[in-house]
Amino acid sequence: MATPLINAVAPPPKKKTPDLHALHYKLVINLYRVFAVTILYLVLAGILAYAFVMGFYAINSSWAAPLILSSVDEKSLDFRVKLVTSQQTIEDVKVDAQKMQSGIAEMTKHRAALLELETPLKEAIVREQAHNKANGPQLAALDTQKQADNAKTQQVLAQLKEVESNIHKDLAAGLITKGDAATQLSALNQAQGAYTDSKIAEVLLTDSILQKTTTGTDSLEVLEKQAELRSEAAQLDVAIHIAQKELYEDNRQIDRLRDAIQTAKQSPYYLNAAGGKQLYFAFVPYDNQASAVAGSAIYDCYLNMLVCRKVGTVTQAFPGEEAAIHPIFKTNIRGFLIQMNLDHPESAKSKTVFLDRKPLLF
Amino acid sequence: MAPILLWLVMVLCLLISVVKYIMGIILKVAFPSTEIKKDYSYQPRVSVLMPCFNEGKTVYETIESISKSKYPSDRFEVIAQDDCSVDDSYEWMLKAQRDFTNIRIRTGKNAVNSGKARTVCNALELSNAEVIISIDSDCIFHEDAITELTACFSEPRVGSVGGRVGVRNPNDSVITAIQAVIYYSAFQLYKVPENWTRSVCCISGCLFAIRRDLLSEIEPAIRARHWFGIPVNQGEDRFLTHQTLLRGYGTYINNDALCWTTVPNNISVLFKQQLRWRRSIVRDFFYTLRTLPQHVWKLHPNTVFTLVLTPLGAIVAFLVVLTMLSSDPLAWAGPLPLVGALGIGAVLTWVIKKYSSREALANPLAFGAYVAWSMVSSLLLTPLALCTMDSADWGTRTKEEPEVPLGNTAH
Repeated sequence: MATPLINAVAPPPKKKTPDLHALHYKLVINLYRVFAVTILYLVLAGILAYAFVMGFYAINSSWAAPLILSSVDEKSLDFRVKLVTSQQTIEDVKVDAQKMQSGIAEMTKHRAALLELETPLKEAIVREQAHNKANGPQLAALDTQKQADNAKTQQVLAQLKEVESNIHKDLAAGLITKGDAATQLSALNQAQGAYTDSKIAEVLLTDSILQKTTTGTDSLEVLEKQAELRSEAAQLDVAIHIAQKELYEDNRQIDRLRDAIQTAKQSPYYLNAAGGKQLYFAFVPYDNQASAVAGSAIYDCYLNMLVCRKVGTVTQAFPGEEAAIHPIFKTNIRGFLIQMNLDHPESAKSKTVFLDRKPLLF
Repeated sequence: MAPILLWLVMVLCLLISVVKYIMGIILKVAFPSTEIKKDYSYQPRVSVLMPCFNEGKTVYETIESISKSKYPSDRFEVIAQDDCSVDDSYEWMLKAQRDFTNIRIRTGKNAVNSGKARTVCNALELSNAEVIISIDSDCIFHEDAITELTACFSEPRVGSVGGRVGVRNPNDSVITAIQAVIYYSAFQLYKVPENWTRSVCCISGCLFAIRRDLLSEIEPAIRARHWFGIPVNQGEDRFLTHQTLLRGYGTYINNDALCWTTVPNNISVLFKQQLRWRRSIVRDFFYTLRTLPQHVWKLHPNTVFTLVLTPLGAIVAFLVVLTMLSSDPLAWAGPLPLVGALGIGAVLTWVIKKYSSREALANPLAFGAYVAWSMVSSLLLTPLALCTMDSADWGTRTKEEPEVPLGNTAH
């Protein structure tokens, strides 16, 4: 400090100056020494305190680190959002399940209706087949008879051509009047028409016999309808089965979500987000687990470890794992959260509290 | 804001140190021409001043090593000055005087215990040589040490020249191994850029050569050094170097001028030594700040940076470590500092083994312990130094005694 400047060394001492200097120096030195001793003791105290705190937290197994969770805390909000989403999902799945259930009921009803149709259809087919079996040969005999009748009629009609020619000759010869001739010719035409009708009836009869004695398109259509009916019933079976499985899965999902929500409701973050009043929590490392029992006393101390007082009790310990930074060592540690019932809320702001017992017996 | 500023200063200080070490490597390997031009034909008369206090037989061994010097014996003398040792140091001096008749040895004794700096001044009164070499009484000197030192004075603007201090006992303990690495790297790397600009900021008092005229000019300042009335007897080497620079002379360390010192091999002695050095650094820092304009005008910018940032780094390191420990108490326990120290230690151990086998380390991992020492050093030495500036003793060997008019008892 007082080292002389260059070219200004060792000024010749004056008679009175040294005394003043000596006084000044003595004052400065005394002040400096007081200051220095204070600082050194502070440094020493700091080192001892550092060593003691390090050692204390290395061996203590009852500390917990309070933490104040705000309702707008990111984790709490996140938790709340997830809960709302889960509840919404449950509602959606429930609606789906209800729809599914209605669908299954409708399909089951439809299937029953289809199955109800099948028996009458079967009976009708059997009845018709029995009827055909009986009518077919009869119609065949009638057809043969009809064919014979028509053959005879055809022979008679061949004779009618000669009668017609005679009518024309008689008319030309003036043997008969025109009116008579017309009447006779009309009668001939009627006979011709009746024959044609008889032929038509014969063809229709043949047709009818064919239908009744063989498997015709009508029968096939009926069988097709029967197959369609069965197919539709089978498809309904599959759809009902699938729907029932989906319904089962939906119900399971609902159960799972309900379980998850139930578990979530045991989380401190849910309690913090849902509860209206201020709750107090603390992080407990696994090493200190034995002290974190519901009902254990909580102590808050001055200077983190000295002169402690009871400030509350442990309400519950939460099962989920939490990671935190050691409040003293600043290392990553694993543990869990506890809920505290604090009589002195300001203790929630302490760096550490102690569970079950005072750390240093005072 | 304040912590950021601290870190910035700390980073700047570390950066300057790293740059100096890297520059040291580059200059040493690629630019040997930056070294001083030595003229061995220049053989001025030399007085080797050896202040002594409670060194016992070591003083005899020191004089013995000097007596083996290759420098012409008619061109140098040894002046051993005892500072009222309470052991048999003075008897050993007299014995050396009787035994080593090949050189001129003069012995003297202070009237009262006066401290190293004033003992050197008292010894100086007995000398009329052109070059003064001040040495520590616990070192062993290479036979070429005097020759190497005087050869550097052929460059007229060089005022003071130092030698390299090697460690005699590198393998005594982990502590000596660490010091061996630090001594070696300091002389062979850190001071090389300072050598380049002929502006070494601290020449070791173990082997310190200075022009007689210059020392005579500075002597009154040495005698007048005090701290609010308390005589300052420590750090005369740093003070002399500093004064040499401020008077416009160059300073240089000739690594071929060798001496060997026994470094502390236990933590207590090392701590006291380092505390003494730290006190000198802090004192020098205050002096530099008080006369900063003078420094800026007269000295090379590198020198000003070194004079300001080295002690500032020590002070800031204390605050940084304090901040670090309060925010993260186990920060020092991470593997990175240890790995870094082991890496540096391994490289330097190899270099030392290759280039200076006498200092070779048996245990290359020993330097890892430097991490712990650096914490102790940063955290304790600076505040202790700042709080014990009124200390005026020889450091490890005596109690404080009042300043009295100096006198000589020459033999």
